[in-house]
Amino acid sequence: MGRFWSLLFLMVPILGVGLFVLAIAGTELPGLSLRDHWLPENINDGGYIIDDLFNFIMYLTGAIFIATGIALFWFLWKYDAAKNPNPVKFVHGSHTFEVVWSLLPAATLLFIAIFQMDAWANHKMRRPILGPGPDGIEHTADDELKPAMVEVTGRQFEWRIRYAGADGKFDTPDDLHTVNDLHVPVDEDIVIAIKSQDVLHSFFLPNLRLKQDVVPGMKQFVWFHANRTGTFDIVCAELCGWGHYKMRGQISVESREKFDAWFQDEFKEQGRTQLEPSEDEE
Amino acid sequence: MYESKTKRWSLLFFVLGISIMMSSGCNTSEAPFLLNTVYVRAKKNEGLGELNAAQQKNLADTLNAIFGTPDMPELPQIAGVDFQGLVDLEKLRVAAGPVKRNESGRELGLYRKHCVHCHGITGDGAGPTASSLNPYPRDYRRGTFKFKSTKGTDRPTHEDLSRILVQGIPGTAMPSFRILDEGELDSLVHYVRYLGIRGELERRLIETAADELEDEELFLDLDQPGSGIFQERVSLIKEELAAIVDSWTETQVTEVPPPPVDWGSDASIATGKKWFFSSTTNCSKCHGDTALGDGQTNDYDEWTKDWTLKVNVNPLEDLEKIREYERLGALHPRNARPRNLRQGIYRGGRRPIDLYWRIKQGIAGTPMPAASSQLSDDDIWHVIDYVMTLPYDALSKPQNVPENQREIR
Repeated sequence: MGRFWSLLFLMVPILGVGLFVLAIAGTELPGLSLRDHWLPENINDGGYIIDDLFNFIMYLTGAIFIATGIALFWFLWKYDAAKNPNPVKFVHGSHTFEVVWSLLPAATLLFIAIFQMDAWANHKMRRPILGPGPDGIEHTADDELKPAMVEVTGRQFEWRIRYAGADGKFDTPDDLHTVNDLHVPVDEDIVIAIKSQDVLHSFFLPNLRLKQDVVPGMKQFVWFHANRTGTFDIVCAELCGWGHYKMRGQISVESREKFDAWFQDEFKEQGRTQLEPSEDEE
Repeated sequence: MYESKTKRWSLLFFVLGISIMMSSGCNTSEAPFLLNTVYVRAKKNEGLGELNAAQQKNLADTLNAIFGTPDMPELPQIAGVDFQGLVDLEKLRVAAGPVKRNESGRELGLYRKHCVHCHGITGDGAGPTASSLNPYPRDYRRGTFKFKSTKGTDRPTHEDLSRILVQGIPGTAMPSFRILDEGELDSLVHYVRYLGIRGELERRLIETAADELEDEELFLDLDQPGSGIFQERVSLIKEELAAIVDSWTETQVTEVPPPPVDWGSDASIATGKKWFFSSTTNCSKCHGDTALGDGQTNDYDEWTKDWTLKVNVNPLEDLEKIREYERLGALHPRNARPRNLRQGIYRGGRRPIDLYWRIKQGIAGTPMPAASSQLSDDDIWHVIDYVMTLPYDALSKPQNVPENQREIR
């Protein structure tokens, strides 16, 4: 009977790995569709760095998961009570083993910490710049940073959006206000200022591999370089209250011309003083 | 011995617990429309009759017979009452009922998914999350809505309601539902109107019942359908319903005259400022001399006055009566606060045309009055000019905070 249980436990690594493989392949099985269950399409130029990091960590932990699963199975199988009449012998630790299983994970973690530094720097420190600043050298402390073109404020339960407008400055009469509807031009460095009005939210653009918690009272900057047009999701990735699930918006990546036209239309609508010539007037 | 006994007991409790969970589980009973008991109590406080439990149940049953239940809404078929374009039964049933998908994959129960936890099953604005919000969610049952293009307390247009759904109401807990498709937004607007019409008829029936019913007399006694009083009541319901539906059908958008040629100029802003502080408009009386919304702040809105000041209950003094209301589901009365005009947050929309409607027509259900007739249309535009500069005034500017540092507010 013991060997039955060991086989049952062997199913854990097999099914676990199988599910991942089927999801990555986008398999259709009778009664089970695993389409769109893997990473969504990446449209950010720098997004591959996040994907690489994700994949690296997944393969690493995946290998350890499989190895652990097999080791557990092997012990269960080999030392099944029915097949082993001899009593168990206890040992009081092994210095070598302990050193190995402490140092190995420590070294691995240290490696990941160093390996991910580039990804961290890209997402948190290397904000797009307008120019090299007074010293004439790029990527130094006095670089002229690219200002945010749009500010997104999380609020229970929506994303309030404000564009700086023609003058590039916020808090001026030419700001454009929208909600849950973010438009950005394609193939440009976009800088967004993100804020929260009430509680912790997380500004998450899955297709741009961008996720940042927004903290009340704190203004942060995120940036990306979208290389494909289309409409994608904005979601909140931090449980922020009852309506967390409905805190969704849309980001439309469009050509510069289309973006400008959209901006003009919205701005005109925001300044509207007249009734629309009614179409449905009978 | 002792050990096995406790083991057996805990096993018994475990099995008992599981079976209770399985029998009650997700199998909740159908949601009912509850009677507006706060209004029943208000009529009693006003000095009209007190309706007993049987009379209240009779009223609730009457309303259910007319409008159906939250899971299966109905529309009354009454000659002369035309719901065409106002409330469409098919759209209603997309918004009503429990959240699920139909065979074609269409999502149903939109009201319960998106709205009910604040606005409540009956549209009473007192759902489970309502008490923690400021301002409180809208109670639809008066048919009164604040942000609309129609005059006075006239009903809002379809466009007005759907605009609120798309834009949300900044400065309140009402979020934007832009992500829903047009058909979904449409059915929610229909459902809101349905709840509004239902709630208004309910109020009128409660008023009549509290006024006319003798002890133990039922509003509609089904045992005596042939009696004169029964017929009278039925035709009363028809008349009231027709009047309510008409008020929704006949509502009209207020025309907006074009702004004067000098609109946006310094002279126009100066004229607007003059009007803002004049005794003709009285803007600064409530919005305050600095427009921070700190003028008169001790008034209440009509939704609250209905069961307090209008029926001689003072929210600050008659605390026992207020507590009775709260036990019936009312939310604790709060003052209506005049808007702080320096924040640049406009609940009903920031377009000049929205501001024109707010000032010209006033805001229904609130202490904000319609513009005085002494104020010409041009003058209203001047006031809008002035109000629109306030958020960019030096006094309103946020402090300059270095980037990536904490903002101190």
